[in-house]
Amino acid sequence: MGTRGLSRWVIAIPMALLAIATIYPLLFTLNVSQKTRREYVLDRFGLSNTFGLDNFVDAWQTSGLGTYALNSTIVTLGSVALLLVFGSMAGFAFSQLHFRGSKAAFLLILGALLVPFQVVMVPFFRVLGQIGLLDTYPGLVLAYTAQFLPFTVFLMTSYYSRIPGEIIEAARIDGASTFGIYLRLMLPLGRPALVSVGILNALFCWNDVLISLLTMQSADHRTLMVGVTALRGQYSDNIPLFAGGVVMAALPVLVVYLFFQKQITDGVTAGSTKG
Amino acid sequence: MPAALSNGTRSRRFSTRLAAVAIAPLVLTLAACGAASDDGGGSEGGGESGKLVVWDWKSGDPTAKAYVDAAKADFEKKHPDVEVEFVAQPFDNYYTLLGTAIESGSGPDVVLFNGGAQLRDRVDALVPLDDYLGDNEERLAGWEAFQDADQTYAVPITLQGEPFYYNKKIYEEAGLDPEAPPTTYDELTDVCEAIAKIDKDCFSLGNKEGIGMEFHLSTFGPGVFTPEQYDAWLAGDRDWSSPEVKQLFEMWVQQNEDGWFNDGVNSTAMFMDEFTKFQGGESGNVVGLISDVAHWKSFDEFLGDDLGVYPGPIVNEGGQSLMPAEGGIGYGVTEWTADKELAYDLVDSLSSTDALTAFYADAGAIASDTTIDTSDSGIPVVADIVSWLPESKPNLHTVLSADTLDLLHRLSQQLIDGKVTVDDALAQLAASDK
Amino acid sequence: MNTSRLGTRTDAGDPGSARVPGGTPGATTPPSTRTGQRAAGSGRRPRWTEDRVVPYLLVLPAVLIVVLLRIVPLVMGANFSFTGDGDANGAWVGLDNYRTLWDDEVFRTAMKNVGLLLLALPVAVAIPGLLATFLFLKVPGYRLYRSVYFFPVVLSPVIIGAIFNVVLSFDGPANQLLEKVGIEPIDWLGDSTYAMFTVIGVHIWATFGMALVIFMAGFATVDQSLLDAARSDGANLRQTVWHVIIPELSQTIQFVFVTTMIGMLTGMFGLLYIMTGGGPGGATYLPELYIWTQQGQMNRPALASAASMVLFVLMLVVGFAQLRLLKRATKES
Repeated sequence: MGTRGLSRWVIAIPMALLAIATIYPLLFTLNVSQKTRREYVLDRFGLSNTFGLDNFVDAWQTSGLGTYALNSTIVTLGSVALLLVFGSMAGFAFSQLHFRGSKAAFLLILGALLVPFQVVMVPFFRVLGQIGLLDTYPGLVLAYTAQFLPFTVFLMTSYYSRIPGEIIEAARIDGASTFGIYLRLMLPLGRPALVSVGILNALFCWNDVLISLLTMQSADHRTLMVGVTALRGQYSDNIPLFAGGVVMAALPVLVVYLFFQKQITDGVTAGSTKG
Repeated sequence: MPAALSNGTRSRRFSTRLAAVAIAPLVLTLAACGAASDDGGGSEGGGESGKLVVWDWKSGDPTAKAYVDAAKADFEKKHPDVEVEFVAQPFDNYYTLLGTAIESGSGPDVVLFNGGAQLRDRVDALVPLDDYLGDNEERLAGWEAFQDADQTYAVPITLQGEPFYYNKKIYEEAGLDPEAPPTTYDELTDVCEAIAKIDKDCFSLGNKEGIGMEFHLSTFGPGVFTPEQYDAWLAGDRDWSSPEVKQLFEMWVQQNEDGWFNDGVNSTAMFMDEFTKFQGGESGNVVGLISDVAHWKSFDEFLGDDLGVYPGPIVNEGGQSLMPAEGGIGYGVTEWTADKELAYDLVDSLSSTDALTAFYADAGAIASDTTIDTSDSGIPVVADIVSWLPESKPNLHTVLSADTLDLLHRLSQQLIDGKVTVDDALAQLAASDK
Repeated sequence: MNTSRLGTRTDAGDPGSARVPGGTPGATTPPSTRTGQRAAGSGRRPRWTEDRVVPYLLVLPAVLIVVLLRIVPLVMGANFSFTGDGDANGAWVGLDNYRTLWDDEVFRTAMKNVGLLLLALPVAVAIPGLLATFLFLKVPGYRLYRSVYFFPVVLSPVIIGAIFNVVLSFDGPANQLLEKVGIEPIDWLGDSTYAMFTVIGVHIWATFGMALVIFMAGFATVDQSLLDAARSDGANLRQTVWHVIIPELSQTIQFVFVTTMIGMLTGMFGLLYIMTGGGPGGATYLPELYIWTQQGQMNRPALASAASMVLFVLMLVVGFAQLRLLKRATKES
């Protein structure tokens, strides 16, 4: 290929700049989080003179981010579990089993990808209220499951469709039932995809603000991201405290990303390439 | 997808009828019934006696702690068995959350409101309180902001007003007399010219939300209008094509063109950036508040003795120099609460003299309670502000509907941006404000 | 065989067919018969055997959730959009809400901005595509870039919006940088000429990592021998990209187009809400934000429902063609 030597380095320069532009905002936030409120008011953009964990501690303690983090964890784990179970079941059925209405059901679920949350927002909460799940953990878990299920089903269907049908035929010949095939064959085979899609969904749930804000009305049910955004209200001008909250909320996510980078990117790509 | 779509259309005709019968008629009433009976959805709230839920955006602040504690203690004396839970919601989304609660018919028993349009738009979900008020009517001030069609829907706990704050140090640097703030628009113009010369902003202004324009209207309005015109505006007789209204809008454009404000007015958030700039000594003046936020207490923290205050300057011959003020925030009782009297008792505690004294002292709010002594605040400007209150008149902007305010916000940004003319803007506002 | 099937049918038809997971009914049928039955299945009426029922049970939870929490609200919202707000709450108003929308300048701006998003779509696809090509060609430091570029994807849009609010403020770091290189500062979020582009730019910043890794995966499937052939023919980079890589990646490119479009049309609310709130002067409204504002601040849920229906139909129109592509990308159908 025609890029060797100098030209590769020429391309590398804008790419390096872009890389800086990608992490700069995070470093900027980290810097702000090191300032006191007073320091910020007097010099908003300069480098912080102080270094400390005060804003982290304040955000964690006085703003109750600790409780919120626990809520986020509960809800995220619950949602991911449901998403993976329902997603893999449907994905297996859509990709490998032949049944009447399969196409319509698949299109129905896929079509839900095209329904922005705001479109159903008003009636959605009425339905949730009517089944008595507003302001409860199961309610939020269900809301997240509904939100991210279409994407999950799509990726799992796509992944399972790459598994050759002969494997399933062979299992049938060995006398396995359809459900047995799901449990003993598809779940283990789908592990790489399940891990990737699970992590991706965990990120989505963890990062959500809108759905959580509206579903969880009482303060002790609030999730972390809502708690963090509440630090930056019209009535609070303590930007360094907010920055501290941002850094703390983003930290677990970044750690997860650094550890599971490959699984995450695999999950994203599960649906993109031909089988 | 086609299957889903055709299903949807087929069932629509049936469910349309269903909606007319069941879903649609008076959602609020339905919601209220739902909450009162079993489903309600509220594991908390919903209004069983034994627990009351309060929504606000204040109780999370450390400065409001003494206030909340005092109110709780007062209520506990009256009803030792009833638990009270305060839920501090993020202000940005407060009314959206409240809307969801009203829709679903489950939610808080007692709610904090800003006076004006936000309250008036939701009176259907609130209990008229006139029969409960008793002595409070005398003791507290600022009721008008919480009334609609002669009924009272919330009890004021603070007064809100907009004085001009200024930084004496910057006045001095600009060669101005720090003890003689401007009293007329001409003097203010001179002040701004002098401050421009030392490379500071005359005013810090953040109009990202469009609220800068609200303050502009209400603080320069008294100096432009005659008292009769002012009262007519408040009474609903608003002539958007009058020369005075046009003058007010032209002042907004002119001030921006003359460089009175910081750069990037439309991208500067009022409560986070505008006041930060003033506190940081980047400007000579700012239009601030007297309660909640951006007030004497928070400015004092940074400017100390350099902080000064003055009421809006006189612009026209017939104009007045006054600080507009009215009820700021207040508590109302929701329609769906189980025991309305119990809920009002909590509102009563939340507006008790003890609680409000704590709120004044810690949070820096001018409380609605006229019996509170404010002479010992240690912050000189408070005495000035309190002394202006008796002559205050309600804000010009709070009598506008939420719709018209929203339009005003957008037009004020377009005026700064040069995307609309004053005449065009006024025509749009006149059409909206009917 | 007939009797045995009849027996199974009654069993599985039983509402509480809890024995299905045990798998016993399948085991009783000789394998050879089962295969024959499947082959003949297309010609005959299906019977309720275990492997006929289980597929439905497998998709049931997913379908149920989507119907209950997406389709039902959608139909409810459609009904609601024909009723009034405020004093007319619950009353039938016909198409009044839709007329209000049509007359509302803010809503029209929101629709225009949707058009702008569609125009920006090719850019949002080309940027990660180009970057992926460079990474594929292993420019110096490519491993590092690959990790770093994905970074923003894992952050919440609300947080990204809040950070960029400060970075892009008039006296903020972005303009300080411009000043250093001698360019006039820009009011990124306060000038209606730029504000929408700024938000789109931040959205691309926040999501290009996602498209990038999809492209990278696509590159992994490119036939190496084709590249070698191109090289021995003396093709330059541009020719290689144009004649080898793009045709090889057509499926990936389609997929990125679809996902990027969905992301742009459904995922920009958080950024807009925090960064501009629709301002200045309503210039950066999108339908999602409009719905949110009407529902909350303006307390007009019925009008919000009407706007929701318009957005839904718009998504259908734009998405329908794309859905076909999505479907083709999977082997199902």
